[in-house]
Amino acid sequence: MGKKGFIAFVLLGLAIFISLPQAAVAQLKPGDPIVIGVPTALGSIEGRDGWMAIQMAVDEINAKGGVQVGATKHQLKAYSIDTREHEPGIPVQDALTATEKLILERKPHVIALGNFRSEVLLASMDLMSKYKLPYICSIAMTPLFQKKVVDEYDKYKYCFRNALNAPYLVMYLQGVMEFVKKQFGLSKTYIIVQDTLWAQGTGKGLEKWYKENGWEVTGFDAYALGASDFSPSLIKVRAQKAQVIVPIFDMPQSGILLKQARAMQIPALLAGFISPVAPENAWKVFEGEVDGMVNVIFEIGPVPVKAVPKSVAFNENFGKKWGNEARMNLSGHGPGPSYDSIYLFANAFERAKTVEPDAVVKALEQTDMSGVIGRIKFGKDHQVIYGFDPKETALACAIQWVKPGKREVVFPEAVAESKIKLPPYMK
Amino acid sequence: MIPSIIIYGLVNSVSLALIAIGFSLTFGISGVANFAYGGFYLLSGFLVWMLLNYLKFPFILAIVTTIGVVGLLGFVTYWVILLRVRGIPLSEVIATFALGVGILELFRWLGFVTYEFTLPYFKKGMVMIAGVPVDYQRLFMIGIGLALVVFLYFFTHHTRVGLAFRGIAQNERTAISLGIKSDMTAALSLAFGSAMASVAAIVILPLGIISINQGYEVLLIAVAVGIVGGLESVPGILVASLILGYAQVLTGVYLKPEWMMVVYLAAIVLVLAVKPSGLFGKFKELEERV
Repeated sequence: MGKKGFIAFVLLGLAIFISLPQAAVAQLKPGDPIVIGVPTALGSIEGRDGWMAIQMAVDEINAKGGVQVGATKHQLKAYSIDTREHEPGIPVQDALTATEKLILERKPHVIALGNFRSEVLLASMDLMSKYKLPYICSIAMTPLFQKKVVDEYDKYKYCFRNALNAPYLVMYLQGVMEFVKKQFGLSKTYIIVQDTLWAQGTGKGLEKWYKENGWEVTGFDAYALGASDFSPSLIKVRAQKAQVIVPIFDMPQSGILLKQARAMQIPALLAGFISPVAPENAWKVFEGEVDGMVNVIFEIGPVPVKAVPKSVAFNENFGKKWGNEARMNLSGHGPGPSYDSIYLFANAFERAKTVEPDAVVKALEQTDMSGVIGRIKFGKDHQVIYGFDPKETALACAIQWVKPGKREVVFPEAVAESKIKLPPYMK
Repeated sequence: MIPSIIIYGLVNSVSLALIAIGFSLTFGISGVANFAYGGFYLLSGFLVWMLLNYLKFPFILAIVTTIGVVGLLGFVTYWVILLRVRGIPLSEVIATFALGVGILELFRWLGFVTYEFTLPYFKKGMVMIAGVPVDYQRLFMIGIGLALVVFLYFFTHHTRVGLAFRGIAQNERTAISLGIKSDMTAALSLAFGSAMASVAAIVILPLGIISINQGYEVLLIAVAVGIVGGLESVPGILVASLILGYAQVLTGVYLKPEWMMVVYLAAIVLVLAVKPSGLFGKFKELEERV
């Protein structure tokens, strides 16, 4: 081999080396920490609280000596990066770049919490596959995630989700709607969603169910991320005499919909999901205008449910660690499953006796654990199974805001503390 | 449905006019397109919120302080940033846009990103107008919008500073030859425009929440209304606000709400293609006719 040939050979070798995924070394040496990557929208309340919940779980596990992996114990170390994907105008590619930066710089063994927007989640699954990183998503909700896992298992087997997904949200909303129809005879609805994959999917799923179950859907509107005027829809709600408004929003501006509905004195029950209305301090923030609204809490924990003692303990301990104000700000989506995801990983490492990705995936698939969100088992599509009995499945719930600023759990019946009441402006 | 469309279309139009009028005033007098306008708007909202929640100011005092501080910031902006690039439109736009983005992103960095940031209503409650409920805050908005227009008319026609504003706006060189100080007048126009952004924020933000992205949206609204009506024309701003305000509500009601934002962009493209000076603008009218 001549000099030029040797240089070409070295360059070729370098190119191959650089192009190989540079993720974490799967083998742990004694004293090495297990690294958890947390790429998420830290500016969203879901991302912010999820990250706090993860730090809480990490600290708890480390305080007990860490995670037993084979013969040695290892501390956990979590690193976050802000993907800003909840902000209008942030392209999917920017969020992916941030995620990959975290992977390359911190070399995590697993990824937790993860993507906020479904569009980013679907794209990031290829990153997880490329770097062979077990990933538990605790926010983004599109069911297409499961379809990808099922359709191309070998490629996407690293991806799991323990948060509620859109079809399960529809399932809970159906339960609420069945109740209000039976109890109060309501049958005319108006759906208002944000123009994102998960919210549109939820709205369309619910619209189909409504039509099959004797409801009249008087309108279906979508609003761009960042929209701040909902009066066109509310004018139509009034004109068409809709009795139930179903909002599906996780953007901060969605609180405006509630304020506008009250300002315009719309005599309809708001029952759906408005992210800013979920936390305990929403009554104060919205000066009581949340009165009567039924809001789904996607995973219990931010709302403690007595039937699930770990949800009560989580709620209390969150307040002790981060302060009562932070506890009262807890988002209705993300914190419970984010916290649980760290225990799910720790449990999987211990059972697999390694952090090697394929072994961790196998261990995660066999998970059967009691957590903050209820009983946690993954389906074949790597989605945690949700239902109405926390002894059998994970649990979401619906709360209703009542005077003097209390959230009452009203659905499902197995854990309900009260029944849904018509708000004062509908009587 | 028609009374609701008329009333809420008017409310929407007045909110657009409130947002755009400060931007228009500054441009009409000094020729400076203040692209920090959205930043000043949002700064006003957060400043009132901080004065109320951190320093426990009474509401009225928080409002007056905020309008004063933001007006002063506009004044200082002229002397510190704009003086050096005055007369170079592209540099003016870049400098003010950078300042606006800096303000907005500073608040994002400081964590002012969630839904907790709301301003109180001036007065809670509502009245029925033609069978349509309208809350007091929206009525205040309409009242303050009208009061601002009347104030601007009297200010620019019956005070020394206002007459200086008009003098500079009509012909800067002639105004200078009569002893009017160009830079001071321009700085004052920036201060007035910024203070008006502040008034708009204090009146409009109680209807929703204070979110960073509104800063960018407000700038788009101000530019769109200005381009449609004529950037330097107050009557043009009013007419454009009515056109865009009703067009938006009608789009939301009869077409799709997600297209409401497109109304601004379509209006900008249409007016620039047909009458670049805007409906009431004069700056390039002669060139357009030729």
